[in-house]
Order: sequence, then structure tokens, then C-alpha cells
Amino acid sequence: MVPIEYYLLLSAAVFCIGVFGILTRRNALLFLMSVELLLNAANINLVAFSRFHGNLTGQTFSLFTLALAAAEVAIGIGIVLVLYRNFDDVDVTEATTMRW
Amino acid sequence: MAAFELPPWMALAPALTFALTALVLFVVDSIDPDSENRTLVAGTATLGSLAAAGFAVWYLFAGTGEEPIVLFGDALVVDSMSLFFAVVFASVTTLVCVASYDYMADHHYQGEFYALVMLAATGMTIMPSANSLAIVFVSLELSSLPSYALVAILKKNRGSVEAGLKYFLVGALSSAILVYGISLVYGVTGSLLLPEVASGIAGTELNGVLGVGMLMIIGGFAFKTASVPFHFWAPEAYEGAPAPVSAFLSSASKAAGFAVAFRVLTVGFPIQEVVVGATASVDWVLAAQILAVATMTLGNFAAATQDTVKRMLAYSSIGHAGYALIGLAALTGGNDQMVLGASMAHLLVYGFMNTGAFLFIALAEHWSVGRTFEDYNGLASQAPFACVAMTVFLFSLAGLPPFGGFLSKYLLFAGAIGAGFWWLAAVGAINSALSLYYYSRVVKAMWIEEPTGDFDIESRPVGIYAALAAAAIMTVLLLPGFGPVWEYATGAAAALGA
Repeated sequence: MVPIEYYLLLSAAVFCIGVFGILTRRNALLFLMSVELLLNAANINLVAFSRFHGNLTGQTFSLFTLALAAAEVAIGIGIVLVLYRNFDDVDVTEATTMRW
Repeated sequence: MAAFELPPWMALAPALTFALTALVLFVVDSIDPDSENRTLVAGTATLGSLAAAGFAVWYLFAGTGEEPIVLFGDALVVDSMSLFFAVVFASVTTLVCVASYDYMADHHYQGEFYALVMLAATGMTIMPSANSLAIVFVSLELSSLPSYALVAILKKNRGSVEAGLKYFLVGALSSAILVYGISLVYGVTGSLLLPEVASGIAGTELNGVLGVGMLMIIGGFAFKTASVPFHFWAPEAYEGAPAPVSAFLSSASKAAGFAVAFRVLTVGFPIQEVVVGATASVDWVLAAQILAVATMTLGNFAAATQDTVKRMLAYSSIGHAGYALIGLAALTGGNDQMVLGASMAHLLVYGFMNTGAFLFIALAEHWSVGRTFEDYNGLASQAPFACVAMTVFLFSLAGLPPFGGFLSKYLLFAGAIGAGFWWLAAVGAINSALSLYYYSRVVKAMWIEEPTGDFDIESRPVGIYAALAAAAIMTVLLLPGFGPVWEYATGAAAALGA
């Protein structure tokens, strides 16, 4: 059996890739993909720890997370769509009618 | 004793009422999708939130939550704390629904707007009841996802879309951080139920993983409460969103974030074991102290430099998150019940005064009065009643004596001093003094300055006026009526074991 540390390292790596994507990408769709990476990093943890502890709580919760990630993307795509209609672009730095 | 016994799941009646109202609104809207009958949908939403408020108040008075009611395999718990916050959410939602009747009059999608408000309110009402980290995440998302859509609901308004985008970007990031933190805490303790998390922490040696997980969870709550370091979205979202939605988010959503933070931190990461005990691992009280001071100072100083009234209120709302954080920051001082109770009471009073202030902005936007302080010059000569209400809200927000905001802030600072954290109270008092400056600017513009232009005030929107009057009356009544509020707030704090 693969030791638990390896799963933690994998999920930490996926999490860092996601954070890097959020900090560097300006395309709103790539931002959404990076958020998916973050959520799936948590899912790796949950499933691995679930097996480690020998209970099913983590696996069940990871299903919840998957469903909520899908719902979040649905809202996100909707917002990206109206962003494109108003600003003719999906660049998140374009929308600056108010200052940050 | 009640003459009849309700089944235990009826303890969730406030949340169930909100969910049911949302479904009814969807049905009404799908029977006649092209209908512009906004009286029907707004009326349904208002009745639903009034019913939820009625259930919550009834349960509080009947003492339903004094013995915590545990449901669904310990995942949900209804006690005096969750009912106290249900009253806050239901009152704010009612005010917002009544005011939206006029503000959203030209909007094409009436049914969807109110249904989204109801769904968000459902999530908020479940949040204080969450006794499992899974429920924490699901209910937090249930209140966040409709909020993103609500902020961006003016699809052809660039400000609204931009606000929705920024709110969504920060929200998606922080919810991912929250769930990663939950996964780490689960890894250490092997459970998601808060009491089992607490007992799992007691015997662990994985303090590093636990600490990272706990900080990430606190980050997720900081987003919901618009505290430093996840406050960036708040000024944008509150400024760009339709004003009733800003009122809803800055009052109810913030209170929900605090409610869930109170329960998760005090029950899941008990102070005795985690902060002061022999095997103390992660000092989250210290984290709360740093966040409280940073949030108060940043919010109030930024508010003082704003040109537009709505953005000033947005920053002041960040400042108030800092005051409410004192409830967590001044724990461990031997005065826990008082500071936690004062923080909850402040969130209740804040729910009325801040909602009222944003609804006045809604009224000004309805009349197409401008956005800056100067645009409000001489408004009192045209609309004296609304300006009296706004003056009440602003002075109450500043914490001046004759209004509800005074007592809650006084008790908060007194509690902090009683717990030995005099410097927290000092920072709070300095910030309050600063806040008086920028709140008075609005009052001065409305009452003292001469009008710079003509106001084009033709209508007196009944809904917004009714909501303003109700919020103002509550803000004033909360001073003489503070006794019972304080009793229930300390009762709610006691339910958390403080």
C-alpha cells in the first residue's frame, strides 16, 4: 500500500499548481479550471485519509465536494458569459469600472 | 410546557420555510413565466421570510433550543444560538424583500430574484446549526452560490457584472481553501463531526497539519465575514450590486459567517485543549486578535477616504466585521460568555442599522440621486423622513448613545476590557471615533449643506419607505429593548459552552 505521505504530497502539488494558475492567469475560464484543481486536491486528501482512517466519511464528503464544484462552475460560467457580453472579453483584468 | 409536541425535525422550521418559499416561487414563476406580477412574488417572499422569523421568535420564546436538539446523526444541532441567528437572517431578509419590490420594479426576472434570495437565506439559516464540517461547507456554498448570481443580476449593468465576477473569483478561491482545510482536519482527526474533531485533536501529535488546516478554515470564514485577508471582494461587490442585495450580503451573510465561525471554533477546536491546555497546538485566538485589529483599522481608515457613500458603507461594513471579531479575539480572558454574547448582540443590532443604511442608498438610487457625498447635499429638504431614518442608522453605526448600536458596542468593548484585552477595546474605540467622522459627513451633507442641483423626486416608493421605517424603529427600540436581546445573546453564547 502506498504510504499516506505520498498522497499528501500529490495533493499539495495539485493545490500549488491551482494557486499558481489563479495568480498568473487572466482568462476567467482558466481561473475556473484552476479552482477545479484546488477542489480536486482536497478530494485526493479526503479519499486518501478516508482509506487511512478506515471510515467512509471522507469518501462521502468528496462526493459532496464534486457536486458543489459542478454547481459552482455552473454559476461561474454564467457570470463569465455576462462578462463577455458586457466587456467583449473574458480577461478578468479588463473589468475595471470600479477600482480594486 | 407546550400543549402539543412537534416532531424534532420541526426545529429546523425557519430554514425549511425559506426552502419551501423558494420552491413555491419557482412554481409560481413557471406557471406564468412572462408575468410581470411582482406583487405576487414579492408578497410570497415577504410572507415566507416573515413566517421564518415567526418560527424563530416563537421557538426562542418557547425555549425550544434550551436543550440542544440534535438531528441527522449529529450533523445538525438546533440550540438557542442557531435560533438567535435565524431571527437576524429572517428579519434582514424580510426588509430586503419589501424594499426590492420597488427597487427591482423594472427587472425582467422577478421570480428568479426572490427565489435566489430565499435560497441564500436557507443556506444562512442552516449555517449556525452546522455541527459537522460537511454541513459547514454545504450550507456555506448554499448561501454563497445564489449570492454570486444576485450580485450580477443586473445583466446589462457593467458595474453589477464586474462586482459579481470579483465576488465569484474570491469566493471560489476561498471556498476551495476552506474545503482543503477541512480535508486536512479530517486527516488529523478522522471525523467531520465537530465534537469528534475536538476529541480527535486532544490525542494528536500532527500539530503542523492541524494548524495549516485550521488556518485555512479560518480563511474560508474570513471570506464570508468580509474580514482581512479575504475582504477584497467586499467594496466591489457592495458597490456594484443592487443596493438591496448589498444590504442582504453585508448584514445577513456576514452574520452567518460569524455564526458558523463561532460554533466551529468553540466546539470543534475547544479553547481548553487547543489554545491554553497542556498540549496546546494552535492558538486561533491569537489569529483572531490579529485579524480583528487589522480588519477594524483597515475598514475604518479606508472608509474615511472614500468619495462615494455606498463604497464608504462597504468599508464601514468591513470595520464592523472587525468589531464582531472581538467576540473571538477576547476569548480565554475569563469573560468568554460576555464577549461572545456581545458580539452576537452586535450582529443583531448591526443587521437592522446596516440594512437600513443600504436601503437608504437603494432609495437614493431609485431617485437617481448621485453617488458621492456632495450629491446628497440638501436631500433632507426634499425627503425629510428618509433622512431622519438614515441619520438614525448612521449615528447608531457610529455607536452614539441614544441608539441600539451604542449598547452593543459598549458591551463589546467592556467585555474585552473585562477579559484583560484592554488594547483590543482601545483600538476599537479609536476606530469608532474615526468612524464618527465619515458617518457625520453624510449627515452634514443631507441636513446642513445647500442643495447643489435639483432633485428629481417624483415618487415615494412605498416598499422602500416601509422597510426604512421598520429598520429605523427597530434600531431605536433596541436601546430600551436591549435587555431581552442581551439575555438571549448570552444564552446563545452559553449554548456554545462559553
